[in-house]
Amino acid sequence: MLPTAVVQGGRSAWKGPFFVAFPNLRQALENNIPIKTQARSCTILPNFIGLRFMVHNGKDYIPVTVTQDMVGHKLGEFAITRKRFTYKATKNK
Amino acid sequence: MQLLGVRLPDNHFVKHALKQFYGIGDKTALRLCARVQIHERCRVRHLNQSQVTALTAFLSSPANSPPVAVQPLAPPNYVPPPLSQPVPPPTLREGEKLPADTLREIKIESDLRRQMRENIAHQRNIGSYVGRRHAMHLPVRGQRTRSNAQTARKLNRVERYN
Repeated sequence: MLPTAVVQGGRSAWKGPFFVAFPNLRQALENNIPIKTQARSCTILPNFIGLRFMVHNGKDYIPVTVTQDMVGHKLGEFAITRKRFTYKATKNK
Repeated sequence: MQLLGVRLPDNHFVKHALKQFYGIGDKTALRLCARVQIHERCRVRHLNQSQVTALTAFLSSPANSPPVAVQPLAPPNYVPPPLSQPVPPPTLREGEKLPADTLREIKIESDLRRQMRENIAHQRNIGSYVGRRHAMHLPVRGQRTRSNAQTARKLNRVERYN
């Protein structure tokens, strides 16, 4: 794992990592319900491991399953916001 | 002169020649010179045998190099002993810690390249945005891709070499 975001992220150490408190965390872990969230900037904490999230990408919610290696990253890093350009030929010409 | 497989130009100052190593820049080169006691304006061809040995020993394994004796600072209320007595060796105060020796933690050449590749592979394995952009050979930090982005096209790989 990389050094935690607290050390690397340019954020004051005394503040600790930025995270959003999810009220239904334990329930979600027990019942394996995905947590629907728009908090892309929430740091993945060690107690999120094994949880499933539905992370908003600006349009819809992308499923993200948190693993050990993801700790210290942000939720938004795993839900891409850009669509690959594909050329579509116009039908009515 | 050849040092650990890297050619150092004979006519250059040592502090500049050391920058030939991948992972050694201005600051590290100066600190390294200080550590192995090479003066500021010494050229590579003027290095003597012991200095070359010291450099080689340090660079081959910086982490295993012998720790340097760091003198702790005197506290503000320090009173020197009278001149007639011998000076006591400096001791650390209660709770005082010596600063970490960052020069021993440097990584150079293949070690550094391996570390960089591991970091990219980590990003790729967890499927983060950074890892994806590396795999696509595109800029990672939001730079434009309509034009330019040539450095990223050249370098950004999952198996990055440089």
